[in-house]
Amino acid sequence: MSRRPAVHALVFQRAVLLLATCILLAPIAWLITTAYKPSVDIFSFPPTLAFLPTLANFRGALQHFDLRHLLESSLIISIGSAVLSLLLGVPAGYALARAKARWTIGLAYFFLAVRTVPPVATLIPFYLIMRDIGLLGTWWAVILLNTTLNTAFVVWMMFCYFRALPREMEEAALTDGCTLFGGFWRVALPLVRPGIIACALLCIMFAWNDFLYPAFLTRSETKPISVALITAFGTKDISWGTLGALAHFSTVPIVLLALFLNRYFVQALTRGIH
Amino acid sequence: MTARQGGARIKRRLMFALEIAIAVSAIVSGSVQAQVKSFEGLTLKLASQNDQFAAVLADLTPEFKQATGVTVKVDILSYPDLLTKMTADFVGHTKSYDLYTTDIVWAGQLAASGSTVVLNDLIKRDAAEIKVDDIYPVLMNALGNFKGKQVAFPFAGYANILAYRKDLYEQAGLQPPSTMEDLVAAAYRLTDPTKHIYGFVANGQKGPAVAQDWMQYNKQMGGDILDKDGKPALNSAANIKSLTVYKDLFQKAAPPGAVDYDWDGRETSFRQGIVANMQTWSIGAAGYSDPSQSKVVGKVGIIVAPPGKGLPKYYGVGGWGLAINKDIDQKQQEAAWLFIKWATSPSVHKELNEKGGGSYIRISETHDPDLLKKYPFLPVIDESLVNGDGDYRPRIPQYPQIQDILGDAVNAVLVGNVEPQKALDEAQAKAARLF
Amino acid sequence: MGKQIELSRESSGSLISTKPVMTFARYRRLFLVLLCAPAFVYVLAVAVWPLLQGVYFSLYEYNLMRPASRAFVGLQNYRDFWADEAARGAIITTSIFTFSAVTLELILGLGLALLLWRDSVFERALLALLLIPVTVTPVAVGLIFRALLAPDFGVLGYYFAEWGLSGPRGFLGNPATALWTLVAIDAWEWTPLVTLILLAGLKSLPTDILEAAEADGATLAQRFRLIILPMLLPTIFLAAVLRSMDAFKVFDIIFATTNGGPGDATNTMMLFAVKEGLQFFNIGRASTVANLMIVCIALFSVAFVILIRGADRKANER
Repeated sequence: MSRRPAVHALVFQRAVLLLATCILLAPIAWLITTAYKPSVDIFSFPPTLAFLPTLANFRGALQHFDLRHLLESSLIISIGSAVLSLLLGVPAGYALARAKARWTIGLAYFFLAVRTVPPVATLIPFYLIMRDIGLLGTWWAVILLNTTLNTAFVVWMMFCYFRALPREMEEAALTDGCTLFGGFWRVALPLVRPGIIACALLCIMFAWNDFLYPAFLTRSETKPISVALITAFGTKDISWGTLGALAHFSTVPIVLLALFLNRYFVQALTRGIH
Repeated sequence: MTARQGGARIKRRLMFALEIAIAVSAIVSGSVQAQVKSFEGLTLKLASQNDQFAAVLADLTPEFKQATGVTVKVDILSYPDLLTKMTADFVGHTKSYDLYTTDIVWAGQLAASGSTVVLNDLIKRDAAEIKVDDIYPVLMNALGNFKGKQVAFPFAGYANILAYRKDLYEQAGLQPPSTMEDLVAAAYRLTDPTKHIYGFVANGQKGPAVAQDWMQYNKQMGGDILDKDGKPALNSAANIKSLTVYKDLFQKAAPPGAVDYDWDGRETSFRQGIVANMQTWSIGAAGYSDPSQSKVVGKVGIIVAPPGKGLPKYYGVGGWGLAINKDIDQKQQEAAWLFIKWATSPSVHKELNEKGGGSYIRISETHDPDLLKKYPFLPVIDESLVNGDGDYRPRIPQYPQIQDILGDAVNAVLVGNVEPQKALDEAQAKAARLF
Repeated sequence: MGKQIELSRESSGSLISTKPVMTFARYRRLFLVLLCAPAFVYVLAVAVWPLLQGVYFSLYEYNLMRPASRAFVGLQNYRDFWADEAARGAIITTSIFTFSAVTLELILGLGLALLLWRDSVFERALLALLLIPVTVTPVAVGLIFRALLAPDFGVLGYYFAEWGLSGPRGFLGNPATALWTLVAIDAWEWTPLVTLILLAGLKSLPTDILEAAEADGATLAQRFRLIILPMLLPTIFLAAVLRSMDAFKVFDIIFATTNGGPGDATNTMMLFAVKEGLQFFNIGRASTVANLMIVCIALFSVAFVILIRGADRKANER
């Protein structure tokens, strides 16, 4: 869409987007502000938005949580499983999209089916397997498991994106003397870059937020921050202030990552075949 | 011999005696120290529930390291996380943690699976050191004993107490309730939805939340989950009656949102000042006088939870024990026992409570003048623990399933889906299948 | 992609005619298999084995805390689940939730994606901001909305109740509205994800066709209906299937808000599975529920396949 749209269409578009952003961010803003409130002000009767800020929750969070290790674990697990999933999944998605045999669709659905499995079913068998091979408590256990789900997801996403690409591009490159791999690497891949970025971002986010597997499979030293957030549940009350404080650390890295990757999330300029 | 020579000889003798004394004491203390310091360099991992005592305990562990050389790492977990991790650790024999804080209701499960070290002999051996007689008998039993096996050692004792709004009672000219019937009547009297004041609040959320709260009120009103043979008797007449009273309270005297409340919801409603009566665990009692947590500072009275008229004075007891993972090796087990003895010793445990731990296990603590000055409601806790009942939530191996069945049934009644009689009949049928 | 690629029939013909067709095709197939193999082998090893174990366990009455009492019971676990009224209700509740949530997210997501299609600083910054709800752990999302919607002291819930928009028990405390509230919460959290997927699809569309259509005078609506939508179908399908699989497994937001209540209004299958598996450690029954979930999700996906595949094939052959 490179033509200049009418001004009122632009204003309408921007207004709606801003409204959507407000709706999507307001609850987060509330959570962030709880970090600065003493617990008596987090819920107020009658509800008000005013409060006297305090840093006590941050002090408590920093004192009782090893934030450096938590963030380190989260980053390693997320980026590790994303990288591994992309390495496995993107070529597989391409292969399935370009294969001419009918049964490859079945294989694609197989990958899809993997993602249907509820984590509870595989959790305990996986826990026991990890114990037996000695990986229990390490990041690898979580990365391996996350990669399974994410690979299936990546294969499926890339399958759909590659299928939307016209085959003519690669075939033209082949006739120009390109190898099969070159056709994949230099022609098809750059065209689905937005898709790959989206996949990467999503893999990282799924892994970052997952707490069920890491809760089981990690030790206190390798615990990611998503598990730490759950400790907010107490039997007497919920430590809202701590939750808000931890949420700062849990959300900011991902936002920065999204901002960083956004640069590559651009329209693929396809010139097509003339 | 001259006087001077005699004096010098006496001095020499004294010096000699002194040297002997010093040498002997050095040897003795050295061996004690050697015994204690032989654990130097070990690390113990403790998984703790995220209750008030957890942070305080974590802050106290450096003192243990100074005394014995053992590092203790405290991992603070939420309730479901702790239970799942602990069970997974035992089932998988993964030795993830050396020590666990164990809930009062887990004793039956732990005894059945044999996953924790049985402490009976150790307690007998070190009885003098632990000052066993100073610990409330109900806690020693409830927080870790099941059919004679001591699978955990009491660490944090909670009493179920009534927190009420003195100001609202005074305004209405009411006396603090001494029986359950008084409490119910006061609840209805004090409810005024137009002023957003409600006379009563309890957990209503489906699942463990409502099950636990109802079981407490049920016992006070004369009901019981099990019959005298230890088999479920969920649909007894007394239970049905108390469930009807509970339901009425929710409909007419509790904040409308209470049907979805878990512990956080009901605490918040009380602390924000919209509720007149709330039965709760004693661990939260100090918080009501804390301006950073409560809007009703100075207006809250703490008394024992009122039993039903004519019923024996039994008060609900809850809390946490410390259990040692049986899979860890012998040396770690001994170090863990050393830690338990240290953490529950009179001086350390008092310090835990002075710093806000809110967890009482010793008779000496609830009578300690320093603690009384800080927490004037300690006599209430004392009375509750002396006449405590730790089994109103049966600590049997099937407890999780029974709690779940009741959680469904009671919530369905509160929401209006089903009548108390039918709900409890169905619950009884399900519970009977477990035995 | 600045290189101009010219298709020369002669050169392609001569290229193919100098090599026997069999060899090239076989070589190509080998190449594709090699690309695909690592993922396939990995997933087979890491995911399928525990899955098969799960099926195996579902045939047993097996509590991990009492391993000695393990007993083969065949299909009894499945029969017990079906006999439980609450369990049967959970299947329906979960299905309704999934269908509503996914539909809502697709519609809202497509709208947002179209609005974000322009490539300027504004849109890119906004996209990053819009993704924030997805970055928050679902449990925390549940807690946030529970706090906001509490009818007695929540910032939103109090006023909803005061002004009569919700009943006095609030949206989450009312069995009639609880499930729909959760659908809305789910949409709040996951619409940005759908937006991202659809936006990536939009950005991969060949721009020349669109520009040609615009030059030809096609209106916005026409361009959308005749070009964009058909070409976007594979991506929509992707987003729909992906979301329905995850929505069916919903657990965190329900656990954090209503725990399946009030009554049975928000009781989902995953709640059953987690309760049996991680609270009671009844791995036999937990696997049973999990297997039933897989079957249900598969049925859902098949429905989507049939629904969209026809249109998708038409679009692909263009």
